[in-house]
Amino acid sequence: MEIFFDREALALAWPAVRSGIAVTLQLALASIAAGVALGFALAVARALGGRWLRFATPAIVAYADAFRAIPPLVLLVVIYFAAPFAGLELSGFLASFAALVLVLGASAEEIFWAGITAVDRGQWEAALSTGLSRRTTLFRVILPQAVLLTVPPLTNRAIATGKNTALASVVAVPEVLNQATSIQAQTASPAPLLLAAGVYVALFLPLVRIGRWLETRAPTGGPAPAEGPP
Amino acid sequence: MSELFETFLNPAVMGESAGLLLRGLVVTVELSLLVVPAGLALGACVAVAQALAPPWLERVVSLGVDLVRAFPPLVLLVLVVHGLPFAGIELPALVGVAVALTLNTASYYGEILRAGIAGVSAGQWEAARSSGLGTTSILRFVILPQGVRKVLPDLVGNTLEAVKLTALASVVALPDLLRMARIAQGVHFNPSPLILAAALYLALLWPLARFVRRLGASKAAPDFARSRR
Amino acid sequence: MTDRIAPGPVLEFEGVGKSFGGIRALHGVDLAVREGELVALIGPSGSGKSTLLRCANRLAEPDVGTVRFEGREAPRGGAALARVRRRMGMVFQAFNLYPHLTALENVALAPRRAAGRSARGARRTAVEALERVGLGDRLDARPDQLSGGQQQRVAIARALALSPRILLLDEPTSALDPELVGSVLGVIRSLADDGVAMLIATHELAFAREAADRIVFLDEGRMVEAGPPEEILERPRTERLRTFLKRL
Ligand SMILES: Nc1ncnc2c1ncn2[C@@H]1O[C@H](COP(=O)(O)OP(=O)(O)OP(=O)(O)O)[C@@H](O)[C@H]1O
Ligand SMILES: [Mg+2]
Repeated sequence: MEIFFDREALALAWPAVRSGIAVTLQLALASIAAGVALGFALAVARALGGRWLRFATPAIVAYADAFRAIPPLVLLVVIYFAAPFAGLELSGFLASFAALVLVLGASAEEIFWAGITAVDRGQWEAALSTGLSRRTTLFRVILPQAVLLTVPPLTNRAIATGKNTALASVVAVPEVLNQATSIQAQTASPAPLLLAAGVYVALFLPLVRIGRWLETRAPTGGPAPAEGPP
Repeated sequence: MSELFETFLNPAVMGESAGLLLRGLVVTVELSLLVVPAGLALGACVAVAQALAPPWLERVVSLGVDLVRAFPPLVLLVLVVHGLPFAGIELPALVGVAVALTLNTASYYGEILRAGIAGVSAGQWEAARSSGLGTTSILRFVILPQGVRKVLPDLVGNTLEAVKLTALASVVALPDLLRMARIAQGVHFNPSPLILAAALYLALLWPLARFVRRLGASKAAPDFARSRR
Repeated sequence: MTDRIAPGPVLEFEGVGKSFGGIRALHGVDLAVREGELVALIGPSGSGKSTLLRCANRLAEPDVGTVRFEGREAPRGGAALARVRRRMGMVFQAFNLYPHLTALENVALAPRRAAGRSARGARRTAVEALERVGLGDRLDARPDQLSGGQQQRVAIARALALSPRILLLDEPTSALDPELVGSVLGVIRSLADDGVAMLIATHELAFAREAADRIVFLDEGRMVEAGPPEEILERPRTERLRTFLKRL
């Protein structure tokens, strides 16, 4: 049993893992913010249509499908190891950020789009019939109703993005997992790994519980509820 | 332009590494064929247990499921593959990877199936019970078929996620598609194998992603949210 | 400004046709609504009443024919179409109120964001419109706190808020419980008395007889008969109209 809670190894691992927590959090928060923003912008572009954006709709759909199809780690490896050949030296952190943003952006776009289409089309008709522009209709009438529906799935995608920061360990970003495995190699003890596992549970278990709670109290799919927000 | 082509889509390099990549692809497919059925089976067990268990036990099970979900899959994988040997449990790499990925994906399958079962109306249970069926038969012949149909898009979606997860195996040196691509890239000092591997993943999974979209897109998009005419 | 526009039809359909896939929803419809006139559209389900109304403000784009508003062909898109839509109010069968906004905000949204009035001005306009439909005391209610009849009156106020030249109403009472129909028809009648032009699809023949200047009978996308209420309802000339009236 002692081997799992090797004091010495833990004492050695903790400062490293602690600095890893900061990196994990930075990477997670930056990727989530940028990924959600990217998904939102794409869904809005898709909804507003218009002359030059019309041809962009198939492109947005293809992007969403492709980046939901490709494993995030494959994307990360391609970005990190292939980009230098194009003269683009990305740090591990930036490569991870780019991969996580592209992946989250694809899911977030679909989630926002699903929210927009779940709002009854009568809402569009009513607003357009009063002479509101499509843009104003989208932002003042449709999105306030749609956003509520997007919160549970977005929360889950954001959590998944947070967990996927562990992939950055593969490209030597000194986040929690990376720190733990390198100390583990030095100490030949599983304690650093267990410490890292504990850190992830402490970080993500509450979020997973919140995500579950949000999901159970939200209407799943279907048309938007007829009544307003609670 | 042709320089970029030579770098990223080098035909010679691709040709030479194709065999290696195909061997990797076979491992990826094998791993998927292990993880998806095992994850579904374990998930179904969890879901059924939750449906039949008393409330307190249901809460314990759901906490366990959430605990598994709190781990990044890669962390779970490293923990199983590099941690278990310290406890004296030596698993072949493929088995270790399969165990970790199955645990992870079962936590999602289980939750999806639980929601599907919960979505079948109580009247179905009553009707089946009144016709003299036992609990196991009711679940197997009445509840699960309906529940599965309700959540089919989510099940297919999670299958996509499960196959994507197999790329993590490369981190613990299992010779899957991604791992082989990395090796080939190192040998040729050229990124073409990586691009080829990404293309293979897309070829394998893009149709699945499109299928998920089709299943989920039962609601028609508001056509004039797009067309201006 | 408006005085200089030659008196004539506010809204005019000329040879308007529209298909959905293989289905002919409208077939060469010619119809004009003059200033202050109330025209009732009757016809069986699927005869094209809603489609005709939606062609008026181009929520549906006609395949053939022209739609003229105030003597000019309505623009097909962009800000010009939005300007024309501001001057036509539309009332829907299902109300289509914005569930996340109060009654006042529902009505004030277009004056503020489409017509660009000040927040104060938009509010004043909205209060007036809601008072006109008898809801001056429910300004801050959300749609789900209002009865069906009250919701539809808010929707009418929303359509009225920009002082439209014509109101398009699509079966405004058919989603209402019978006891709530009266309040909505009362509001529409009083608007007619004030000289607001209206094109209204309705199944309420008693109302059409009493309030309409003209009744138009649509069947399978064609205008079959049109004329004053007494003529249409009491001396139908075609077999189709006779059958339709008998079945009601
Ligand atoms: N968006 C649409 N897509 C396909 N078909 C449509 C659409 N809108 C209307 N139609 C078809 O066009 C025809 C006319 O429909 P419309 O709604 O105008 O009839 P209506 O007279 O308003 O009927 P109701 O009294 O039931 O409201 C019908 O056959 C209908 O099925
Ligand atoms: Mg209709």
